[in-house]
Amino acid sequence: MSATGRYQYLFSPLRIGPLTVRNRVVFSAHLTNYAADGLPTEQHAAYYAARAAGGAGLIITEEHSTHPTDWPYEKLIHGFNPAVIPGYRRITDAVHAHGTPILAQINHNGGQASSMFSRQPVWAPSPVPDPLFREVPKALEPHEIREVVAGYGQVAEHCAAGGFDGIELQCSHSSIVRGFLSPATNKRTDGYGGSLANRARLLLEIVDAVRAAIGPALVLGVRICGDELIEGGTTIDDAVAIARMVEASGKVDYINTSIGVATATLYMIEASMQVPPGYAMFIPSAIRAAVSLPVVGVGRFKDPLQADRALAAGQADLIGVVRGQIADPDFVAKARAGHATDIRTCLSCNQECVGRMGLNRWLGCIENPRTGREAITLPTPRRRGQRVFVVGGGPGGLQAAVTAAERGHHVTLFERSDRLGGQVQLAASVPSRAEFLDIVRNLIAHAARLGVDVKLGAEADADLLLAEKPDAVILATGAAPNPPWWAGGAVSSGPDAGRRVVDVRDVLEGRAVPSGKVVVVDELGFHQATSVAELLADRGCQVEVITNGMVVGQDLGVTLDMEQWNVKAAARGVTQATDLVPMGTAPADDGGVVLNLQHHPTGTDQTRTVDWVVCAVHQRAEDSLYKALRAKAGDAAGELPFSLTRVGDCLAPRRAHAAVVEGQRAAVSL
Amino acid sequence: MTAIDGSPGASPATPPALTRPLALRARTAPSRVLFGPHETNLARRREISDRHVAYYARRAAGGAGVIVTETASVTADDWPYERAPLAADCGQGWATLAAAVRPHGTIVLAGLGHAGGQGSSAYSQAALWAPSPVADAASRELPAELERDGIDAIVAGFAAGAALAVAAGLAGVEIDAGPLALLRQFHSGLTNHRGDEYGADRLLLTREVLTAVRAAIGDEAILSLRLCCDELAPWAGVTPEQAAEQVDALAGLGLLDLLVVTRGGPYSTTAYRPTSHTAPTFNRDLCAAMRTAAAGRLSVALQGSVVDVAAADAALADGVADLVEMTRAQIADPELVAKARAGDAARVRPCLLCNQACRVRDNRNPIVSCVGEPRSGHETEDLPVEGTDARARDALVVGGGPAGLEAARVLATRGHRVTLTTNDTVLGGALRGAAVGPGRERLALLVDWLAAECERLGVRFRFEKTVTAADLDAAEAAGTAVILATGSVTAGRAYPAPPDAAPVDSWPALSLLEAGTADVLPGGPVVVHDPVGGPVAIGIAEWLAAAGRDVALVTPDQVAGTLLSLTGDLAPANTRLAQAGVRRELRALIREVGDGRAVLEDVWTGARREIGCAAVVDCGHRLPREDLYLERPGTPRAGDCVAPRTALEAVLEGRRRALEVGAAAGRPRRVPVAAAAGTATGEGAGR
Repeated sequence: MSATGRYQYLFSPLRIGPLTVRNRVVFSAHLTNYAADGLPTEQHAAYYAARAAGGAGLIITEEHSTHPTDWPYEKLIHGFNPAVIPGYRRITDAVHAHGTPILAQINHNGGQASSMFSRQPVWAPSPVPDPLFREVPKALEPHEIREVVAGYGQVAEHCAAGGFDGIELQCSHSSIVRGFLSPATNKRTDGYGGSLANRARLLLEIVDAVRAAIGPALVLGVRICGDELIEGGTTIDDAVAIARMVEASGKVDYINTSIGVATATLYMIEASMQVPPGYAMFIPSAIRAAVSLPVVGVGRFKDPLQADRALAAGQADLIGVVRGQIADPDFVAKARAGHATDIRTCLSCNQECVGRMGLNRWLGCIENPRTGREAITLPTPRRRGQRVFVVGGGPGGLQAAVTAAERGHHVTLFERSDRLGGQVQLAASVPSRAEFLDIVRNLIAHAARLGVDVKLGAEADADLLLAEKPDAVILATGAAPNPPWWAGGAVSSGPDAGRRVVDVRDVLEGRAVPSGKVVVVDELGFHQATSVAELLADRGCQVEVITNGMVVGQDLGVTLDMEQWNVKAAARGVTQATDLVPMGTAPADDGGVVLNLQHHPTGTDQTRTVDWVVCAVHQRAEDSLYKALRAKAGDAAGELPFSLTRVGDCLAPRRAHAAVVEGQRAAVSL
Repeated sequence: MTAIDGSPGASPATPPALTRPLALRARTAPSRVLFGPHETNLARRREISDRHVAYYARRAAGGAGVIVTETASVTADDWPYERAPLAADCGQGWATLAAAVRPHGTIVLAGLGHAGGQGSSAYSQAALWAPSPVADAASRELPAELERDGIDAIVAGFAAGAALAVAAGLAGVEIDAGPLALLRQFHSGLTNHRGDEYGADRLLLTREVLTAVRAAIGDEAILSLRLCCDELAPWAGVTPEQAAEQVDALAGLGLLDLLVVTRGGPYSTTAYRPTSHTAPTFNRDLCAAMRTAAAGRLSVALQGSVVDVAAADAALADGVADLVEMTRAQIADPELVAKARAGDAARVRPCLLCNQACRVRDNRNPIVSCVGEPRSGHETEDLPVEGTDARARDALVVGGGPAGLEAARVLATRGHRVTLTTNDTVLGGALRGAAVGPGRERLALLVDWLAAECERLGVRFRFEKTVTAADLDAAEAAGTAVILATGSVTAGRAYPAPPDAAPVDSWPALSLLEAGTADVLPGGPVVVHDPVGGPVAIGIAEWLAAAGRDVALVTPDQVAGTLLSLTGDLAPANTRLAQAGVRRELRALIREVGDGRAVLEDVWTGARREIGCAAVVDCGHRLPREDLYLERPGTPRAGDCVAPRTALEAVLEGRRRALEVGAAAGRPRRVPVAAAAGTATGEGAGR
């Protein structure tokens, strides 16, 4: 069966107003933080061009601000500044070179902002502070509403001059238009407040102004929120009615959809792997039933077949695949060529894409080290065809092997256990984290396609490496549990398992099977503690998670997993306590453990008498091979016969992203 | 070094000791006031920018004796925050700065450092390096252990950066071994667990660095060391006793000219430049001990919330130090030294130690600024207040809070005849009320200063005066410029009561603060409702607890006072609340209040729980007081009457409106509401 035959609808062209797209996959708007000084950059052009080259049907850029009062985050593109036009042209030329249409999303974030960067009052329909920014906005006066509308028209002109094929109005999750549409934020008593028709007045005035600015030859789309998921906010009935009004204007060519409010319910907009795929498709379904305009649906579309099924089910006319194409720019091309299994599937881990946006950092990807670096050309290999030995088959070693093989080297990968994946296998063994395994599944498949010689159950020691004399050795030997001082030697990792203070890895690798009352000590602030707590609670344990910090699993907020963790924890009776520093352990009478704690703000002591203590603490680098090689070099009073690099946890135990970028960097430097 | 010979008994005419010159090696600092290195986010990429130059030059013009520039990383792997300067990229900027400052005689030193394990891998996308693999308490990131080649590269980086700075025309360098520095991590048993010679001798790396730097900069240039002398973690950290030995050893090298005494370590980075909850000049004893240890072999600077000219002078007079670091004080008033020299120390705009705008180590990269002096950090964009407008006008300012006072001050400065009316009996507005509670008192200094400046400039005050639209019409007819700064009103948040429940008292926070006593509240537990996460609720909770009340702070957040993270007071505030016995009801919405109970709902799970509640204090957002404005839309207005925010916005907008009065000569004073879209009016002007 031909690839396009495998998909009923995905590769059927679609007319969107004056434009025809070649397939149904949209690279929908999302922040990148690639802007500098309010202007689009070379990196923007390279980033979008990579997705155009990879076959995306339609690209919609990140938002361009329509007015100087709108500057909620540092690296926002100031669309109101005519100086953006050359940067626009650079983007559109780069994308059009691949025959791909590209629209500009234009927006004013309204009250979902602060004055930190603009040094101006924040503008909104009413003085209702945003739940994230918490700054009381200034209620727009009538002449300011006209100024807002005019700003949209002006920026639309800039976009047209910059070569865009059209405009999308973001009226959905962070927008002054959303603010007017939503009863939760619009308390006005004039012609812009009250009835839905009044609340939609600004939207329709903007539609008029933008259409007047761009003329009939360009596309105009409107993105609507189907459910704000906040008290008193817009819900699906209003959204459908708004879509009808938009269509009735006769000036709009398509409708895009979203769910949630960026500053209140972001975890449902950019849902992590804890939320089922396709969770927001009730919105395009309802709107599509009410209007005849093409409708875009979004929400954790990870593979082309899933997108095709949504099209086949009539849920939408187009599918937004954002993170899927951040992870693999060739998502569409691989599907079209019948190689869908080659797609580097998004994990929905949110660690380096979504997670970086709120931190004002550039958008990347945990498993694609080229994301966000498309504008930087990699150096050519110093010498092709080198013999490269990679020791360790976790994400760092696998990435090093893949990149080295891609660059023309002959790669042998040694893994001493009987399977690849390293600690990712453990992280993904918790049911709600299963999709995290995709990172190594993708790498393993890629390594196989590239002909990497993988040796499982093979211990590469210093003697072997020195005897084999490859050109390069990349060590990715990982990390080992490191009993904390306060455990008093009671940690059971490995042969003396059976005692009651254990590491998360002891539990996930099956060396320890805690039961009864369990305290999980979170010193890492990420998934380790919360995952094992969830796992043990599901096995019937009574679990408390404690941390020396102010919040258990602090960084789950970054990846938008905090809400679900807390809901799951509450449902499982998992309790949490903060500001507690472990001070020691002692045996309890019944074979359990007494954990001594200090509440550091007050200096008061507490104890927990439990059956088990599980430590989510920093590991130690497994660097014995590195040290052995350095010692050999020292003995030989000279250099090693190969270049030697450490990547990932064997350098310093951190998260998977560090292993991947270092593995790639080590291979590129050969 | 000899002690300063000024004494408390000196005649009032004696210039303050801090205005006296100080010899440093071959140079003489024009005063004994140091502007210390601090994050500004003014860098362009990782270079010293024109904005930096303007920022420092303004302090030099105002009399600063020594300026240490923002700490620049000595190796490229160190990238602790996005706009952190990189020494190798700073040569041009340092040269521009040296030229700009030269006319003022100020000694400029390049700050050089490496953040080690307290850096960030976010920008370098590479591992952090530190003495030992000990995770930083704040970031929880585990660093890699430095090896010999890495150590050598860092020593070479310090030397290269220092050579570049001196070649650029700077007077020397300051090496960072302070609360956020790799060198301090080597000094400390908390972070240095090495088994090699750098573990056995924790000062070894610092000695190597100082030796290499001195060799690189020659005998003429000045070499300063910023040294943490107390990590506030005596179980393994650097203690004052250990630090005294370090100072003795380092002074004995004969390489150093200047030592800046600081405190703070991995568990207490915010103790370095804390908010007003820590009393000013807190390092006096520590600094005196180090000066004793140095025994005259180098000059010693007192650092640590030195914000007051008299306190600084006392420290010099008492032999605590040879010079004083007054960083935040000169962010608040760049002319601090000049005013002191002119005998106008009382006219120095006070630093509130609020850290709201000057502490900018934050992912969002805010620009360094000041609540009371918003032009700080914005020297290249904001016009100076100083100067006289072409035509002196009559001006009426309605409102006596920070926005109105700043508007009046600027109008009067620029030659206008100003009347300020307030319906109150005192000046200060909401800021006066906010200045209640432990550690919050300094906020009132800004309104006191503004009022005194207005008085000095001849502003006429009209108290307990209600201004009507007719008054504004009359003023306009008479050609008087009008600025509204009428402040805010309570949002009147209603707390639903269960049917037939006995009602519970609910107080807007500001009303309670203005009442000035907790006794107005009924007996029993008080619920402080904080949907903002701001300092007001924390202050009220502390104040009520200090008054012996049973207090619960209810917040929708996971941590109380989340907005305090920018100021560095988040963890300290939560510690104070815990110690004061304030219960923090986190992740909670108030659903019902009545019969002495409040029903709380978990923001995520929806689970409900009840707590005792005899009274609710509403610390939520307020609404603009805009009745007068709505009668005359388009009238220039500033501060909370536009949208209730912080003192920073009030001062900034009060100033802008005042400057627009002079700039608007010949233009209509009031733009009709029906003016075409795009016309700048009121607070929209200046875009």
